[in-house]
Amino acid sequence: MTEDDNKDRNLYTDPWPPVRGDYQVGDPRSAVAVVTLASSLFIKGCAIFGQCVTENLGLEKIVANVISNCNIRFLIICGLESKGHLPGNTLLALHKNGIDQKGRIVGSKGAIPFIQNLPPEAISRFQEQVELIDRIGLVDTMEIEALVARHKREPFPSEPFVVFKRKAPLRAISVGEADLALGAGVVMDASAWLVMEEV
Amino acid sequence: MFRFKREQNVVNLAGVRMGGQPGELASVLCGTIFYQGHKIVEDEERGLFDRAAAERLVSRQGELSDETGCPSVLHIYARSSEAFSRYLDFTEKAWSGPFIIDSADPATRMAAAAMLSELGYADRAIYNSISLATDEAEARAIRDSEVDSAIILAYNPTQPGVDGSLAVLETGGQARERGLLDAARDMGINNMLIDPAVLPLGSGAGAALRFSVAAKARLGYPVGSGIHNAVSSWPWLAGKGAAAKRGCDAAAAAMQLLSAADFLLYGPIESAEIIFPAAAMADILIAEAVQDLEIAPSDAHPLHRLV
Repeated sequence: MTEDDNKDRNLYTDPWPPVRGDYQVGDPRSAVAVVTLASSLFIKGCAIFGQCVTENLGLEKIVANVISNCNIRFLIICGLESKGHLPGNTLLALHKNGIDQKGRIVGSKGAIPFIQNLPPEAISRFQEQVELIDRIGLVDTMEIEALVARHKREPFPSEPFVVFKRKAPLRAISVGEADLALGAGVVMDASAWLVMEEV
Repeated sequence: MFRFKREQNVVNLAGVRMGGQPGELASVLCGTIFYQGHKIVEDEERGLFDRAAAERLVSRQGELSDETGCPSVLHIYARSSEAFSRYLDFTEKAWSGPFIIDSADPATRMAAAAMLSELGYADRAIYNSISLATDEAEARAIRDSEVDSAIILAYNPTQPGVDGSLAVLETGGQARERGLLDAARDMGINNMLIDPAVLPLGSGAGAALRFSVAAKARLGYPVGSGIHNAVSSWPWLAGKGAAAKRGCDAAAAAMQLLSAADFLLYGPIESAEIIFPAAAMADILIAEAVQDLEIAPSDAHPLHRLV
């Protein structure tokens, strides 16, 4: 990625992608991202491609990296589904239905389909910015690359969306009853992880 | 090192004792066989595999167990019930100790529990796992089976961290009406092994270490984890050589044991070569550290065998 690629306006964050994961970056100006689910495939011509085998943290990374690049307008879901976890099914459900108040992805058949690190605005943005192309089960790389080449669209008319991890507010630690003895009159409250002298 | 004020449960699984105070019993080490991508598996769906290679791996884990004093458990992963049936047939002949039944597919786990009950050795099996993902159908299948040992996965996506993991066990937190421990009891589970669920590095992997101590202090059940997942999911390490990866695997195992774990789901059974020595060393160090706390290591402890 060079500065020139991103010069007209800031279409993607620098650096992009902002979140690390099991993926490879192609051309960040491409309109297509590809998730290959449990299949290890090498896809040419897209902005980013990689595997996703979990229905919670893996999805969060995909969303964060997609919405931080306005060029990406399509997300191809292909490869073999990860049994039990069903990240492909869950990604489709997230895009279609979003999450409920507890963070559960509505309509997902995955094992533990929760979003914990994305604000609701990030999910709305994901729903608006990209169109999902459901080709779960497809492992033919030539066919996937042909799909990539066919899909083009203008960048999403907004700034890249940067997801910040929610930070829990600091809470006061109260010294309760000690749980552990370290000997020599020293004890520990394991809940607070505090080592102290025995009173 | 430390001693827990709360009495620590010791479970006995097919002769393998697990739990207790740190330094009391040797760590129980569970190596996974037939995992996704395991080279000895030719057809994951049907469960076709290289039997001789599998026997060598199981036998080697047993040898290292005998040598170090750290008991071993065979962690069987299956993609389908057909595959599980074949793996079970193999296990019956090649392994006499306890084993874990595991699959990402709930239908496979349920079928495995039923199969074991029918064959009459459910008492050697540990169900992996009871978690937020366990729905009513799976709960019924466990209840209807004779399996009475399970790993309880304390993963709480609605409240990440130690407090959230304890909440999902004790009360269900925001994610469930009831705690997983009560739910597991209703499913007929007598031997509960607690697993914090290890997240990737950067997503909260470290919480597993503190959780292990907090969970034993609060609940008194045996605790352990698949801390190797934090290592294998670390993108930075993926670009490094085998020596770096092995070093991190051994270090992670020892750190988890130092944080009061009673068992380790140490990942691919091939890692036995590095995990058993690392765990035995950690066990010896811990046992020596608590000698003044009136904790005596068991007769079979690595302290009595290797030094």
